[in-house]
This record gives sequence, structure tokens and C-alpha cells, in this order.
Amino acid sequence: MNSISLGPIIFGFIFGFIIGSQIKYNSKSTEKFTIASFAVIIIAAVVIAWQIGQFPFYDDIPINTAFLFAIIGLIFGKLVLGRKK
Amino acid sequence: MSQNSIILKIIALPIAIILICLGIMTILGGHITPGGGFQGGAMITGGIILCILVYGLESSLLNLSHEYISILESIGALGFIILGLIGLFVAGSFLYNIGADFGNVVPSYIQSIFHYPDVTNAGIVPYLNIFVGLKVFVGLSAIIIAFAGFKKLGDQS
Repeated sequence: MNSISLGPIIFGFIFGFIIGSQIKYNSKSTEKFTIASFAVIIIAAVVIAWQIGQFPFYDDIPINTAFLFAIIGLIFGKLVLGRKK
Repeated sequence: MSQNSIILKIIALPIAIILICLGIMTILGGHITPGGGFQGGAMITGGIILCILVYGLESSLLNLSHEYISILESIGALGFIILGLIGLFVAGSFLYNIGADFGNVVPSYIQSIFHYPDVTNAGIVPYLNIFVGLKVFVGLSAIIIAFAGFKKLGDQS
């Protein structure tokens, strides 16, 4: 049976986008996370999603789609809306 | 309020992002596993708390504005009530699962609108989890932000 759950993909991305839009540097921030930092975070998140596996949806993709698309939405929301205050 | 450790400041945001993704996963798997809206929302808030504790309230990299919190809180509460009212008007009982329609009382086109795209026949339950998750996430975050602000006011006085 070929089955892919679209719900976790769509709503994971939307949820991540909503929260990622609030990752912002402000004038009082002393920390600086570069593009390379976020690339490392994405790689770590993909490894975690792979290790979680099919749980909890048990569809045919051997990776946790909700986790994966949540991190994609987070980064996308940060890039689109999460600029400096 | 903020910590001065460089290690904490480097690792807090990545851990917060991973925590938030785990929270989203918990919310979206709430209809088939233990967990759900409240638990996932609390996990997302854990990431917000970590950032506020490490970076401080004013310089936190994950700082939620008042408008953001009020909008999401309203969407969470209104969405839950609207889904319940749709069940009341269409099927006669509040929060009737019009997406699954176990009683065969809902027209098929309405059922297809509210059917969650999943391998399970969950209906509106994931949507309710999402709205509860939104509401819990911003509600608990507002409490933590208020506590952090009170601490700052206490230090000033």
C-alpha cells in the first residue's frame, strides 16, 4: 500500500512557519547565528527525523514528515519574516 | 536574567528549535499516539523558556510580541469553538466529528472539507489538537514572559 500522510506535511510546515517568523535578532542581541549555523541545525534535524523513523504515522516514508517539515517551516519562516526588528 | 556562558548561548537556540519541532510532531501525532495539543504546546513553550532564560527577556532570539500572542490565542480559541459550532449546526451536537461522520448524518461534501488528510479516519480531531496546541503554546509563553518581566521589575525596585 502506497500511503503518504499529507496532513503532517502541510500543518507541520505551517506550524513551523508561524513559530519561525519570531526568530529575530534585535538591537540588544549579542549572538550571531550565521547561515552555516542554521545549515548545521537543519542537518541535525534531518538526522533526528530519520532516527525517529515512521513513528507516529507509519506511512511509507521512512522519515518523520512532521518533524522534517516543521524544521523546514521554521527556517523558511525565519528567512521570510524573521528579519531584524 | 540572562546567562553569561558562551556555551549556553551557542547551544540554546539549536536545542530550542529541535524542542519546537518535537512539540509540533507531538501535536500532529496526537490523534494516534499519546500526546496532543496540550503536551505539544508545552514542549514548544519549553524552547521559548530556554531562549528567555539563556538570552534574557529583551534580547531573546525567540521573542514573542504582544500582537503575535494575542492573535494566536484568539485563533486557537475561536477555531476550536467554530469547529464545535459547525458540528452543532450540521449534525445537531456540539463538537460532532463532521470529518469522520460515524453517524452518517453529514453531507459528503462537508465531510470532505473537514476530513484530515491522513491514513487514519480522524476527522476533525487533529484540527482540534492544532488549535489547542496553538493556544497552549502562546498561553504558557505569555505566563513565562510575564514572570520574566516581573523579575525585571522587582530588580529595578
